[in-house]
Amino acid sequence: MKFESWYNKNYKKLLIIPAAVLALSVLYLAFFYIQTGDIISKDVSLTGGTTITIQSDASQQSLSEFISKNLTDFEVQAISDNTGSQIQLVITVGEQNTETLQLILEDFLGYELTSENSSKETTSASLSADFYKQLIIAVILAFFWMAAVVFIIFSKGKKAKFWTVILNILLGFFMGNFFLTINPIISGIIFIAFAFILIKMYIKNSVPAFAVMLSAFADIVMTLAIVDLIGMKLSTAGIVAFLMLIGYSVDTDILLTTRMLKKHEATNTALFRAFKTGTTMTITSLIAITAALIVVYPFASVLNQIFTILLIGLVLDLFNTWITNASIIKWYTETK
Amino acid sequence: MKAKITFKIWILIAAVLLSLISIFSIPPMAFQEGVIVSSVEQNTTIFESGLRDGMTIKSINGEQIKTIEDYSAALMQLKNLGENETQRIEIITKELPSGIVNLFDSTLIDHVSVENIPSTRIKTGLDLRGGARAFIKADKPLSDGELNDLISISEQRLNVYGLSDVKFFKVKTSDGDNLMGVEIAGSSPDDLEELIAKQGKFEAKIGNDTVFEGGKKDVTHVGRSGQDALITECFAVEGGEACNFRFTIYLSEAAAQRHADITDTLSINGSYLSKKLDFFIDEQSTTSLNIGTSLKGQVATQISISGSESGATRNEAIEAAELEMKKLQTILITGSLPFKLEIVKIDKISPNLGEQFTRQILMAGLFAIIAVSIVVFVRYRRIKVSLALVTVSLSEVLIILGAASLIGWNLDLPSIAGIIAAIGTGIDSQLIILDEARDKFESMVQRVKKALFIIVTAFTTTFVAMIPLTGFLGFMGIGAASAGLLKGFAVTTLIGITTGVLISRPAFADIAKQLEE
Repeated sequence: MKFESWYNKNYKKLLIIPAAVLALSVLYLAFFYIQTGDIISKDVSLTGGTTITIQSDASQQSLSEFISKNLTDFEVQAISDNTGSQIQLVITVGEQNTETLQLILEDFLGYELTSENSSKETTSASLSADFYKQLIIAVILAFFWMAAVVFIIFSKGKKAKFWTVILNILLGFFMGNFFLTINPIISGIIFIAFAFILIKMYIKNSVPAFAVMLSAFADIVMTLAIVDLIGMKLSTAGIVAFLMLIGYSVDTDILLTTRMLKKHEATNTALFRAFKTGTTMTITSLIAITAALIVVYPFASVLNQIFTILLIGLVLDLFNTWITNASIIKWYTETK
Repeated sequence: MKAKITFKIWILIAAVLLSLISIFSIPPMAFQEGVIVSSVEQNTTIFESGLRDGMTIKSINGEQIKTIEDYSAALMQLKNLGENETQRIEIITKELPSGIVNLFDSTLIDHVSVENIPSTRIKTGLDLRGGARAFIKADKPLSDGELNDLISISEQRLNVYGLSDVKFFKVKTSDGDNLMGVEIAGSSPDDLEELIAKQGKFEAKIGNDTVFEGGKKDVTHVGRSGQDALITECFAVEGGEACNFRFTIYLSEAAAQRHADITDTLSINGSYLSKKLDFFIDEQSTTSLNIGTSLKGQVATQISISGSESGATRNEAIEAAELEMKKLQTILITGSLPFKLEIVKIDKISPNLGEQFTRQILMAGLFAIIAVSIVVFVRYRRIKVSLALVTVSLSEVLIILGAASLIGWNLDLPSIAGIIAAIGTGIDSQLIILDEARDKFESMVQRVKKALFIIVTAFTTTFVAMIPLTGFLGFMGIGAASAGLLKGFAVTTLIGITTGVLISRPAFADIAKQLEE
């Protein structure tokens, strides 16, 4: 019981750790934004450009040297199967160099590239920018609507629930039709106004619901910071991974909140029981994803990025659910 | 304790059985014999005889067809036919048991493509099966009506060209642009870009006067087989071989009259008229034909179109000439599009790459399942619990796959990520049920009620988080362009979590109750 008395004494102080990590993450993302002009680095599926995949066991280096005679801005990636033997080379260039690259590759390989022996993907920069914008809108909206559901379920009072629904529907129309299309400063201000009103209402009416949102938000921001830190270039699939992360991370938070609000035992007993179930859930997911990642890793497909982001996010979720969310809800139930 | 199969468990069993039927069909497709027609070119003898894509060929000239090899062997005799020679062929399909009987020449082989009957009804997406996808933009903003016209002309073009497993869809960008999306399964022609993004304006001119244009108004029929379309001769040229082709087209009366009026004004220059008949494609001059003096002032309804293509070998030259002829025929039949087009996205995925990848995904799934059952066993120390959880999760995979084949959804990589997401939340929910069921302070009914409350809440949050990706919110202006590419993720996740919360979770709660009682 040594741990329990230590925990009872210090759980509020524990909140300093996630608060510091969250602040650091936000600072890092801001720094990243100032340096690169965006909060993530994007790969070819989001910036536009051409990717050609060829089946070849030629070395990555020899091909790179060959291409560098004619092109400067390109990337070559080797893909191997499970036994470690190389099966493909993936070459990425800007859209304007598509045909040059094709000619260079045909010269290198000594045969013509057809749709049977190679894959070729080209996306124009303007279309990619549009995809990116739409995906960002989808992720932001997914987060807000998730938060609204959590609030509606855990809060009391019909009036607040009613306004939550109305405001979130309005937010949907705003995001779809005006966000990022009208003047960025004006749309930014309107967006912040929406967020401010909603958050204020959530805190005022239901601290537990707000704790769930905060923990999910911290998950996403911290994961983003780590993704940027390790230099990962995000693809459309990577953004989907963040959507999956929202779903996974709120699962354990909802479990914790329900157990604490509907408890019939001592606060700590309920908390530790929730901890046992919740960690089993997250650890099961972590192990399953690690196993799957090991199998698909050599293939360097979009699944790698999805799984890697989920791994990072789930580890951070353990931290955020059992420190951030747990401390807030314990504080809340004990002062009530 | 004797295991009792409750009503909710029966529902799960029924759902799994229905899914199996949906995936494997009745009788199971794996046991069916024959080959499936994947495409038939339009305006060909075989098309007019009634063969359509999707039909199952059972026998040819009395010989049973079980595989593609049987099919090729049965049509071998056609390959040896000379020019203008035909042979009687009888094709029996599952759909037309009385058979198709007609005289066919050797072009039949090129006009029909077949594939083996797949063993399941599960359809895979382009990134797994190979194929091409393109997004096409016009040089001016298109209205919905114009986009529909563009789609119908493009559809016809690809059909005439011999591609039938083609899907068209509309894509709206957030700037309000209407784009046309095309998806072609399997291997696609290497000149696909040209085929779909070409305006395809064919003009025949004498001097500055247009005699006729491509499309139904001026061209009533385009010859595509027999004497009406053929490779006329091949000869050696510098660096290889060249072949000439020629095909006949039939003009409408109005166009033929124009020909008469224009040629009437020309003077005679030796054995030809003073001006030539020039062909233009998208305003580029292609070939010019001399006009014989006998045609002066004549109402000519039949016109020969000819051209020449070269290649390194004789076979390559023949292929190139046939391809060029086919392209010309295509634009003469379908006519021109009223605007210029630009490809803004094109993905061509080789069929070979997808196959290796599918195997890899199955492996990954297997490893994940083994990992999950070990973790669950370590935690609960009961093999029954581990087994129950893995069985229910596997049945969820089957239900998702069954539902996907029922609605004809193409499973692409994002869809598979969606299945993983759904199964992951499914396992989470089952763990919640297991732990709640062990809560000794409450009655069993209360325990299960609390577990289901957590699960339904978690379900609702994921559900609303997926909605923006589905494209259902088009009226809000949300997720239209990205939806085309990532819809699969939302669709399989939604199917998975919805069937989970309605079918497998209640059943698992009943199982967990029995395990704990």
